[in-house]
Amino acid sequence: MARIRTLIASLVLLGMCILLAVSCPLLAPFSPSEISGRPLQEPCKEHLMGTNDLGQDIFSRLLYGTRATMALGLLGALFSVSLSTALGMISAYYGGWPDEVISRGVDILMTVPGFPLLLVAAIFFSPNIFTIAGLMGLLGGLQGIRIIRSQVLSLVEAEFVLGARALGSSDHYIIVRHILPNILTLAVVNFVFAAQRFMLMGVGLGFLGLGDPAVIDWGQMINRAYSNGGFAMGMWWWLIPPGLAVVLLSMILAMIGYSLEDELNPRLRKQKILSI
Amino acid sequence: MRIGYLGWRMAYSIFAFLISMTITFSLLHLMPGDYLHAILPYLAEKNPQATVLFQEQFGLNKPLIEQYTLYMGNVLGGNWGYSIHYGLPVVAVISEKLYWTMLIFIPATLLSILIGMAIGSYSGWTCGSNLDSITFKIMIFLGAVPSYWWALFLILVLGYYLNLFPLGGYVGIETLERGVDPLDVAHHAILPIISLTIVSIPGIYYLMRNSMISTFGEDYILNARSKGFSETYILRHHALRNALLPMLTVLAMEMAHMIMGSVFIETIFSWPGMGLLTYEALRVRDIPLLQGIFLMDTLIIIIANAAADFSYPLVDPRVKVV
Repeated sequence: MARIRTLIASLVLLGMCILLAVSCPLLAPFSPSEISGRPLQEPCKEHLMGTNDLGQDIFSRLLYGTRATMALGLLGALFSVSLSTALGMISAYYGGWPDEVISRGVDILMTVPGFPLLLVAAIFFSPNIFTIAGLMGLLGGLQGIRIIRSQVLSLVEAEFVLGARALGSSDHYIIVRHILPNILTLAVVNFVFAAQRFMLMGVGLGFLGLGDPAVIDWGQMINRAYSNGGFAMGMWWWLIPPGLAVVLLSMILAMIGYSLEDELNPRLRKQKILSI
Repeated sequence: MRIGYLGWRMAYSIFAFLISMTITFSLLHLMPGDYLHAILPYLAEKNPQATVLFQEQFGLNKPLIEQYTLYMGNVLGGNWGYSIHYGLPVVAVISEKLYWTMLIFIPATLLSILIGMAIGSYSGWTCGSNLDSITFKIMIFLGAVPSYWWALFLILVLGYYLNLFPLGGYVGIETLERGVDPLDVAHHAILPIISLTIVSIPGIYYLMRNSMISTFGEDYILNARSKGFSETYILRHHALRNALLPMLTVLAMEMAHMIMGSVFIETIFSWPGMGLLTYEALRVRDIPLLQGIFLMDTLIIIIANAAADFSYPLVDPRVKVV
């Protein structure tokens, strides 16, 4: 029961974050790039979290930053999960040479470190929120292919698939109507964890100065606060809010992921019966 | 059979390195404009003759396939190009920084493996107990906080407020008079090592816990229990070794995770390793250097993979590599 409560609570929190991201023009007191006051102001009534070195309102920027930060994580996850689900299903369902090619390819590419490659690639393609999400999805989807593949391998042998095949259903029909619904929950768990990973990665890229300059995201806010002296001068209201927001969102996604995974995997449930 | 498996793994590693080289090669060629424009933009405009000479000198007028084989040969021969920012061979720049990275990387890897496996195996063994669910939640929290945030937090609390550790760098100011003191370096290395360890523990913990839970249901555990062995004895002699096996194959993935963490941690602590080098190369857009770093990271992971493969027989006596 506790698991269900965690799941519901974290889903509600995630919903609130999405609501904030959607409705930030209504909530934010200032436009995020507007110079709205003296630079480096401490938190006060007018500027709830003070202002940064350009005199922009940090609270408004934080609210607007929710959009790009979440979009990065969710887009990257969407991309990687659709890629890994599609390839994993094809690989396990058809077997033979497609399986060989995909599995061997994954084996080899798993050795190539994704993050340094992402850094190199992000410089080449001008950092734009969609390219960054696409690159992250492409590089981070490999592990998912294996997970989906092993699940589908056991499904292919299942009676109902055999039955559907005996009835003369086409491969396409079996994959869409019988295999896909059975791995959907697994794909959702993959999606949530991927969203968490890619959000942290996206904020990290922003921190390293590789973010999309056209949008406001928390990574770039942290980068600005860190490299323009917010950290050295002890201006916590500049550095803490975006950092705390990242931690909060990442915790919410992790809680959703783990409670879903627990629901999904009976093996991870209480096994204490044996020792009684 | 075991040798065949090792052979396959080696072949994969070689393939992976070839692919990494191909990626760096094609990125170099995808770069807008030519290489000369990137490093000496005005020379190319003023003197077209220089462009021709430059292309001849660096073999850029040869067919692509020939350039590719040339590049491969050079990389394998240890010539990874020249860093634009440092004006030195990439290999020289990287190998100097590699030493400093390993200084925090190796202790952090060992520590996180030891701690993560100890807590993870205990947590998996007592799966479902209160202690397990509390540790599990703590680990979720540890894993959800990004690495740069841990580093900043540790600097603020342990470095700034409690004044126990230096705020960054690798040696103190006294080094100017007394030379590099290993103790001083160790003192500077503690905080980066702690943050890198914290970042890598949750992944290892989680894998170990899962591995332990699946071992838990095996028949030989039930058998040992029916013989009346104590829980600790079963854990030590029956469960632990078997649970370790699947861990070995995923440790290399953890290495990739740590490489990512070290970029942020070294940057924040100004630790002069590959991570900080990556950050600086990114800032000045030093592409040959970045590619060298990428190749070196691939090599590190390949070596970690090979180490895991060869330590397999140490953990599992059924497996023999002769």
